Amino acid sequence: MPVIPVAGSEEFANLPTSPAETRRIVGTAVKLHEVGQSVIDALDPLTYEVIRHRLTSITEEMGEALKRMSGSVVVTDCNDFDAAIMDEVGDVVQVGLYNTELAASLDMAVSWTLRHRAARPGIAPGDMFLCNDPWVGGGLHQNDVSLFAPLFIDGELFAWTGAVAHQVDLGGVSPGSWSVAATDVFWESVPTPPVKIVENGEIRDDIEDMYLRRSRVPKLVALDLRAKIGANNVAHERLHALCEKYGAATVKAVMRRVLKDAETRLRAKLSELPDGSWTSVAHQDSARSGDRGIYKIVCTLTKTRDTLTFDFTGTDPQVDGLINCTYAGLRGGIMPVLLTTLCGDIPWAPGGLYRCVEIISEPGTINNCTFPSGIGKASVASAWATTNVVTECLAGLLDAHPEHRKRLMSVCCGTWDFALLAGVDQRGGGFVTMLCDSMAGGLGARTHSDGVDTGGLACIPMGRVADVEMNEFSFPMLYLWRREEADSGGPGRFRGGVGASSCFIPYDSPLGGVHLVVSAPGKALPLAGGLAGGLPAGTQHDVLLRSTSVHEDFAAGRIPALLSELGGEAEVIPSHHETDLGSADVYFTHWQGGGGYGDPLLREPGAVAADVIAHKVSVTGAHDVYGVVLASDGTVDQDATTSHRSALRLSRAGLDSDRQEVNA
Amino acid sequence: MSLFIDDNLEQHSDGSVTCRHCSHLVGDAAAPMNAARVTETAPRTAGPSVREDAALFADRPIVFRRTFCPECLTLLQAEIVPGDEVSSRHRSLIVGA
Ligand SMILES: [Zn+2]
Repeated sequence: MPVIPVAGSEEFANLPTSPAETRRIVGTAVKLHEVGQSVIDALDPLTYEVIRHRLTSITEEMGEALKRMSGSVVVTDCNDFDAAIMDEVGDVVQVGLYNTELAASLDMAVSWTLRHRAARPGIAPGDMFLCNDPWVGGGLHQNDVSLFAPLFIDGELFAWTGAVAHQVDLGGVSPGSWSVAATDVFWESVPTPPVKIVENGEIRDDIEDMYLRRSRVPKLVALDLRAKIGANNVAHERLHALCEKYGAATVKAVMRRVLKDAETRLRAKLSELPDGSWTSVAHQDSARSGDRGIYKIVCTLTKTRDTLTFDFTGTDPQVDGLINCTYAGLRGGIMPVLLTTLCGDIPWAPGGLYRCVEIISEPGTINNCTFPSGIGKASVASAWATTNVVTECLAGLLDAHPEHRKRLMSVCCGTWDFALLAGVDQRGGGFVTMLCDSMAGGLGARTHSDGVDTGGLACIPMGRVADVEMNEFSFPMLYLWRREEADSGGPGRFRGGVGASSCFIPYDSPLGGVHLVVSAPGKALPLAGGLAGGLPAGTQHDVLLRSTSVHEDFAAGRIPALLSELGGEAEVIPSHHETDLGSADVYFTHWQGGGGYGDPLLREPGAVAADVIAHKVSVTGAHDVYGVVLASDGTVDQDATTSHRSALRLSRAGLDSDRQEVNA
Repeated sequence: MSLFIDDNLEQHSDGSVTCRHCSHLVGDAAAPMNAARVTETAPRTAGPSVREDAALFADRPIVFRRTFCPECLTLLQAEIVPGDEVSSRHRSLIVGA
């Protein structure tokens, strides 16, 4: 069914708003703190650095507070959250290191709240606002629930702090809120625009009930709400102490200078790079269960002097399904790449960095969709694909500079391998959890080194995988293995980092089995592209084996190590799928590695031999893709390799030994 | 003054783009690989990293598209993409940048 416009939804179609415009609309409803240029100019370098680093450490403390109070493995063990400190109008002064996608549009949500909530119901000390409406901002899909809190100093709104975390279930048709059959947002979790859920330091029971009532795991979501309140409280305590020690004007002056410093230093770096344009494309296969379509996001990056323009003209229209993302998702796809590839030595102050960036995008496209398009998977679908295409474009820009090219990286793990389990756990309680094993994606290759194997995800610098034992303790499942997979890293002169697989069975649930929701594209075509002749990483691969011999194997003291040892009937799982796993069913899920860099035939043969010994590359891959012939002891047969590479160089280009077309 | 575009390509002050491995002309600033050799083969010819046939999951044709230096046959670009759409991967550096 085509998306039908919803009258009134335009109020929530938020776009970044300038500080001056936000101030104009707020008017006298809330007194916003301001600092004069003379105070900023008078800052001494030492005070600036001390306070700037304090702001950084406060965002880290917010993350610690969140982790210690949450009961969700997604947060406590996998770091799928983030925290930020913003100025009085929402410009982000410091973003935490955790999942930077999540915090990329907190500024939009805070600005919207100022513009729409300052008069009614008002913004006062002790208030906190909850938002999971990605058209407003604050997160990329409905599961990303943000909680942001105004900090008042002497009666003036001085700053905001915000915490955002992935909640494992907020309702919708499918467990985990990833409704894989969704055609629009009404299949999914209800998006909630900013509501004052904490008033004068107390949780509002009526609002909390409205929020939690939608979830299959309300107790867990309630605990996460308190964890985010705790994170904001910790930040407010620390910021109050900082203002008492140095004075609010000085702290605000530092915030202003951090924003300016980030902007100035990024502009300086951009000025060193050549002007030009780079166009790339990111595909996604399947928009919902049963769909066999392929959808593209096209990005042209134009770099002119000290400005970057990301133009998404050519991107496909929004689609019936759950893979669209809003404008907040599009920004969430850009900022993490800017931070990791260009800002290693620049303050992570998105509010300043965004000043160097222009975005051209047509509303109604898959990474700038309109209400009520389906966005349940936005964060790791079109937002992630935006990250991929931006990564390629920025890598092209950096590659043309002899020094800065050392900072580029090919696309890492082309998407999130979503596997969600739900049912009754070994303690008899209902459970829902997103398996976060694919936090161990392969990182992209670089111009001078291989990508890090199972090194993580570029957009989630602090992401991590829960221990197998933690997952088995928390949920009714038993692993057969979790391991790196050969050939999953994109071949190249420098190889992309390998991805990995997990293989498990339902275990110890009183129901016998568990419910499974899969949303894992990259099966028809790999999603992590290579650079400069480097190949893409491997494809996503998920297999469900029904009625296996696994329990007989266990009884006989055997732990199967290959799918072929398990018997049963194999089903290759499409990108979107929902089913039940029985007690003897085995699920195998294999996520992607990083893209390669440079022609694989130029890879040092000894490095290929070492990869084979380490099971990073198979013997077949070494021979067919890298052109390396190995002796029986695993060492390189140099003469045979030279000869084979010469032949392969011709044959892969479709030429015979006389350089004639093979099929001519 | 010339400029290295990436591992394989070099752009010169007159806008010409040559292969860094063999110095053969492969394009110009507006289209750095317009004289390169392009082949399309089945995705699984990319090697064992492609785990299943694309036709299991999608109806559109998927191809492994490779772009080579026409002289030394160094691989300049590799992509696995729908075969019914032209490549969207382009770049163009300002001459003298
Ligand atoms: Zn050449």
